[in-house]
Amino acid sequence: MRTVGVAGRVPVASAPGREDIRWFLLWVGGMALLWLWDLLFLNRPAFLQIQEAFWNTLLGAALVVVFTLLLGWSSALGLYFLESRQQRLPYLSLTFLLNLIRSVPQMVGILAGYVVLTLLIEREIILSSGLHILWMAFVISLFTFLELSDVIRERIDFYRKSDFFDAMLCCGIREGRIINVDILWKNGLSHILHKLIATFGMAIFLQCSIDFIISVGLSTDVSLANFPRTLGSLLASLDSKQDILAISTLFSDVTYVGRLLTTHLQGVSVAFTIVYTLVCVYKITNGLVKRYGL
Amino acid sequence: MKERWLRDHLLSIFLVVSVFIVLAGLTEGPRDDAAVAREQTVRPYLELDFLDLGNPLHRALFKESLALYYPREPGRADSILRAIDAHHQEQFTTEALKAGAQQRGFTVAKLKRLAPMYLQFALVYAIVLALITYGAQTLGTYRFVRTKQRRLPPFAEFLRRLGGLGRERGWRNGPRGLVESLSPLIQSLAKVVAYAVLFAPAYVVAYSLKTRFETEGYLFMVTLAVVSNGLLVTYANKFYTFLVHEDRRGYVETARVKNLHASYAWNTPEGITPRSILMPRKRFPGHLLDHITMNAQFQYILTVKEQATFLITGLVIIEMALNIQGHFCYELMQNILYRDYEVVLAIIVALFVLVKATDIAVDAFFRHESLRLGSRMGGA
Repeated sequence: MRTVGVAGRVPVASAPGREDIRWFLLWVGGMALLWLWDLLFLNRPAFLQIQEAFWNTLLGAALVVVFTLLLGWSSALGLYFLESRQQRLPYLSLTFLLNLIRSVPQMVGILAGYVVLTLLIEREIILSSGLHILWMAFVISLFTFLELSDVIRERIDFYRKSDFFDAMLCCGIREGRIINVDILWKNGLSHILHKLIATFGMAIFLQCSIDFIISVGLSTDVSLANFPRTLGSLLASLDSKQDILAISTLFSDVTYVGRLLTTHLQGVSVAFTIVYTLVCVYKITNGLVKRYGL
Repeated sequence: MKERWLRDHLLSIFLVVSVFIVLAGLTEGPRDDAAVAREQTVRPYLELDFLDLGNPLHRALFKESLALYYPREPGRADSILRAIDAHHQEQFTTEALKAGAQQRGFTVAKLKRLAPMYLQFALVYAIVLALITYGAQTLGTYRFVRTKQRRLPPFAEFLRRLGGLGRERGWRNGPRGLVESLSPLIQSLAKVVAYAVLFAPAYVVAYSLKTRFETEGYLFMVTLAVVSNGLLVTYANKFYTFLVHEDRRGYVETARVKNLHASYAWNTPEGITPRSILMPRKRFPGHLLDHITMNAQFQYILTVKEQATFLITGLVIIEMALNIQGHFCYELMQNILYRDYEVVLAIIVALFVLVKATDIAVDAFFRHESLRLGSRMGGA
């Protein structure tokens, strides 16, 4: 154990019950096995497509986590300082803006973001696939950062009531430092990390869902073909859909599983990657809850 | 002020709806003036039933007639013909016109068409919300009891039995021992399948079953919304967390000292029955779990608000991804496609109102329960 906070100690990897690490390793192992299986049985173009989609999805989800962290941290701190300095109008305006974002269902908001992306592509403002992924991640993070913002505010409120906060203020330490370093970094990191991992899973789910939904296309000029390939868009392709449809054959013929895992590999691999990743993220967050007693 | 929470909700609805109305006004924007002017020019000629401009003879006669009618404007005939051709082409090439979206904007006719869809959507939403709340509490309680029973996970149990280390017979002890050894393996396989369904996005489950089941009916949609998208499992986990937190509280120890039943064994006089877990109210008279569950249920009430927002996302995904025509969110998708933003904003406002109505109902119920539990504690 190593001391990481003023108000308490947070156990590190040596603590018992490292379920989160076990599930992370299981995810890596599962993905490696799938890669090997696809390498052996899947045709080369489809294999390369899956690889590209996998990395793009992972990159997108990681960027969502980064944007969520930036937006969540800054909005929570913004609200806190506006409230503590009694700047009522900016505080109410920011609260209203955040509530407005909260009021829009995630999927609808993200869809609106994709419509804007479509317009930007049509007008040739956004051209590179890197910028596409950046935009997509930013739009998704706009609808996921509020949860992190709530967690950060809850942590600040929790520690603000304790004696060490006033004691540190009396020692002349800046309020910003106490909040950022002593509360959030040293004593709130496990909560923030837990929420960020959950956000990673949510980002994968939302990104795949939105890409699947817009497989019908949002304009005559822009379709999934213009977007960077992700697991969702690959699943929406005709080949993958046929592969997924073939799963129902198992109801009448269980022995079909052999053909499913060799002939219909593209769709099955993509679906497996999405579901297995979501299960592992869920288990990792549960493991963190157990380990840190969140 | 006693009803301040209600005032806050209504104010929030008013403000958000106002913002959306302003946005709708901004998005209305200028119509395509060139197309409107062209249509006004060509309309009289289009109404001439006998005229077939696809026929070269008709075309030549029409052009000559126009030249006679407008002798001082030699180019007029050509420009009218071009306008008519452009109008015909537009009927074939414009995406929105092809799909029947001739009338733009949020009209009364559209309102009449969307209203029944909205009511159906709200009904499905209410049913799914109730089912998920029940399912989450049932699964959470079941998991809590299983944890308290300190039973090994099925796969670990299978490995233990396979080795013949426990009291149960191992696979070496004949066919009965083999069956007993295999039952945890079957349980763990069932768990894997359950996890795959519970965490799979709705469209993956729907496409997997599409050739076997009618996937466009309401029953399928409700089932899909309950079991897929990770909603049920997420909120079951949340309820389980509330139970664990309550279990650590001091009153549980006090109740134990007061000799309340504390055994979690199935179907014993001091234990609990699986039937009581399946009941909607989840009462366990004379047992610790009765108090733990009651307090966890009270805490869970406010979680329903969060659940409602995710549920809306789940239903939007189902209706859009499965392209179920005649459904509310399919209309949303179509209107995004047509760039009819007035209708899009109206649909978003309708969804927002649904979420807000849930918030109001949940807050009212929370207040009611607080008062009820408060008066009960005061009276004790």
